[in-house]
Formats: sequence, C-alpha cells, structure tokens
Amino acid sequence: MNDAVSRWLRIFFALGLLVALFFLMSAIADLVRIMIISALLAYILDPLAVKLESRGMGRGVATLIIFSFVCAVLSVTLIILLPVLTDQLEAVQTGLTPDQVARNISGMDELISRKLAFLGIDNLDLAGKLEKALAGFSDWVFSHLLDVVSLFTHLVLVPFMVFFLLKDGREMKKQLVRIIPNRYFEFSMNLIAKLDWQFGNYLRGQFLDALIFGILSICTLWFLGVKYFLLIGIFAGLANLIPFLGPIAGATPAIIVSIIDTGGLALAGSVIMAFVVMKLIDDAIIQPIVVARSVNMHPLLVLLAVIIGGKFFGILGMLLSVPLTGFAKVALREGIANYRRYRLT
Amino acid sequence: MTSLWANVFKSRQEAQDPVSALLKRIPVFDSLNARDLVRIEKILHEREYRPEERIFLQGDPGLGMYIIIEGNVEIVTEPGHHLLTVLHEGEFFGELALLDESPRTATAIAQSPCRLLCLVQSDLYDLIDRNPKLGVKILVQLARTIGERLKKTNEYVYELKKELKGPPFHE
Repeated sequence: MNDAVSRWLRIFFALGLLVALFFLMSAIADLVRIMIISALLAYILDPLAVKLESRGMGRGVATLIIFSFVCAVLSVTLIILLPVLTDQLEAVQTGLTPDQVARNISGMDELISRKLAFLGIDNLDLAGKLEKALAGFSDWVFSHLLDVVSLFTHLVLVPFMVFFLLKDGREMKKQLVRIIPNRYFEFSMNLIAKLDWQFGNYLRGQFLDALIFGILSICTLWFLGVKYFLLIGIFAGLANLIPFLGPIAGATPAIIVSIIDTGGLALAGSVIMAFVVMKLIDDAIIQPIVVARSVNMHPLLVLLAVIIGGKFFGILGMLLSVPLTGFAKVALREGIANYRRYRLT
Repeated sequence: MTSLWANVFKSRQEAQDPVSALLKRIPVFDSLNARDLVRIEKILHEREYRPEERIFLQGDPGLGMYIIIEGNVEIVTEPGHHLLTVLHEGEFFGELALLDESPRTATAIAQSPCRLLCLVQSDLYDLIDRNPKLGVKILVQLARTIGERLKKTNEYVYELKKELKGPPFHE
C-alpha cells in the first residue's frame, strides 16, 4: 500500500515538475528558442567535426575550421544573394501598386465573378484582400525577421552557443551524466546512445533534404520565371521540413504570385506541375538516400505539433516543432523499451 | 619558463596521474602511450557506489566495461546468488559489453564503498570514429584479452571433460 502511495506521489511530483518546467520555458521563450536552434545546429555540424578529428585535428581546431568555412559560405552567399533578396523583399513590401499587377487582379476578379455568378459570388475585391494580406506579411517580415535587435541577438548568440556546444558538447554531456543516480546510469546512457543514433540521423537527413529541396525550388522557379523565386524557394525548402503540409505550404506562395503576376493560370499550372515533379523526385530519390526512416510520424501528430509550435513560437516554432516532436517520439519509444529491458520497477 | 617546461612534459606528467597509471595496468590499454591514455580518460565516467549497491543486474543489456579504482566488487549469478568472484582495485569487468549489447551474464554488486570508471560502448565507438588509429589499438587489445579468456575457458572445459570421463575402467 505504502509503495503504491509513494509511487503515485512520485508520478504527481514528476508531473508537477514538468508543468513548472513548461511555464519556466514559456517565460523565457526567446532564450529557449535560441538554445534549441543552437543545439540543433551544433548537432547537425557534429559529424563534420568528427570527420576532421579523424584526420588528426583537435576538437577546438576542427570547430574553428568548420566555423570559418560556414562563415565564408554564408558571407559569399549573402554577398551574391543579398541584393536580389533585398529587391524581392522590397517588391513584396510595395505590394500591388504597379498598374499591370492591379489590372491582372481586376481581370481575375471579373473572371471569377462571371464564372461563379451562379453561386452568388460577386464583388470579390481580390486586390484589396491581397493587398491587405501582403502588407501584413511584409510587416511581419520586417517586424520579426528583420527586427534589428532580435536579428543582432540571434546573429551573436546563436553562433556563440553553436561554437561552444560543438567544441565542448561532449564534456557538457559528461558533466550532466554525473548527476544521474547510479540506479538509472546504465538505463540513461543506453537511452542517450539510442537517441543520438536515431534522432541524429533523422535530423541531419531532414536538414539535408530541406537544403536540396530549397535549391531545387529556387532553380526551378527561376527557370519558370516566377517573381520572388529566391524568397519563395527558400521558404519552400524550409517548409519541406514539415512533412505532409510543407510541400503544399511551399507551393502556395509560388502559385499565388504567378497568378497575380500573369493574370492567368498558365504559369500557375506550370508551377503546380513543377512542385509535383519536385516532390516526386524528393520522395523517390532524395529522401530514401538522406532521411533515416527511424522516425515515422503520423500526419495527425505532425499537424498537432505544427499547430502547437506555431501557437507558442510562431513560424519558427512551426518549423522546430517537427524535429522536436520526432525527438520526443524516439525518446518516449526508446525510454519505454529501455525501462522494460532494465526492469526499473 | 617553468610553465613552458611544464607544457613540454605535460603528456609525461599526465601519464603519471593515478587514473592514467591505473589504465596502464589494464590489458586493454597497456599498449597505449601517455597521450592516448589521456584521450581514454576523457571518455570515462567516474561513478561512486555504496556497499551492496548494484552496479548492473544479470540479464540487463550490456552497456560497457567497468574498472575498479577503489573498493571491491562481487560478481554473482542468479538464481541462487552464487558468488563467482570478488574483484579488487585495478581489476575490470564487463568488457564483453564493449563489443555487443547482449544481456549481462552475471550481476555486479559493490561489496565496499567503490569508485569505478565506466567505459561505455557508444563512447568507444565515437572515439573509434574520431581517432581510428587509437580505436584499432584498443580493439586489437580487447580481442587479445577476450581471446586469452576463451583459451582459459577452453582449457577449463577440457579439464572438466577429462574429470567427468574419469580414469579408464579396468576389470
């Protein structure tokens, strides 16, 4: 009886601790977000550091080389792409002022009203609605992504944290392991090793897949002559991190922009075809090679995770929710399996 | 100037620290130089156990090898809690778990207050990835150690078989 009571007490205590932790994390959401991003980046870069170490370098030197390389690649990319990116962002912010675009929208408005008159649809005011939506989006981009203070904090803190997590991550893990009670030592070490293997492969695979899909999208949209191809391509690559919903979310801006830009459906049709083909290539060729199948998630679980992530941390939360849910799923599955194997009752 | 010489001879000094000296006595690590021993030391987890505290249970998945810095460890088999042996300072156990995750064949319990070093299989594999030369040295020594034990077990089985057969029967 006493055992049962103490067991329930322990469960309540653990749940209480989890709730307190959740509230604490919500209170310091910005810092938590920066820490999660840094940890994920350090984790993605770790195999590179291991590869350099196997060539006889120390961990510190390997970390420095990776950092210099990443900085060089980012600088070159920014120097080449920044003017195009700025132009496209400004164009998005200016919205629908150019006459031709306004004419195209009015044309579409008339076409839809005429064709769907039998449904009682008239006076859609597409231009007004789109203008409002785009203004809202550009405001969001400028207030969130390009907020100088936030950008500076992220640009300084994230690389700083990534550097030290990459360099001293192993030692930090060792220090954390020290506080685990003896009874749970073997269980925890076994669980950490399994999580590292399964989640690590999944995360790196997803990152590589998103990168390839993003580059593929940019090239295809550029080839088709879609406006803002760079912005949309980057968004499509990032959105591809979200299974099931990502490809649709990635294709939607390209379709909207092509309809607005041309006033017809021809380019939009080509864009849809291109995204279908790219998704097929992704599913049939890229994903089987780069993404580990150890973390299969149900579409409903992904949807819930994305909604919850978006609610608490915005668009970044939506993107981070998928790997974090993958991590939680592997942790839960392996934790339960390990609990049984180690008979910790 | 002193600090310069201290740095020059750092690896030699490190080899003389108690943990490195202890590692040097373990057959798996006895062929390693001072610098390699320091690398091994970095991936070891030091744990402290109270008397009668269990280290691992028979049937648990194998995690890694333990080296005794201080204290005595009982190795027992279940059911019946039969005492197989008592291990002392400088001795090691569980080295088979470095190669696979098959269940532990016996239970290890601290007999007195113990300080142990644990080398976890995943950390060893990580070290092999980072430093293949050192990894090969350790694996060769590990294979030798396990080979020696196999040889001794074979001899023991041979002797047992001979005893079971008994002396030739004469009418």
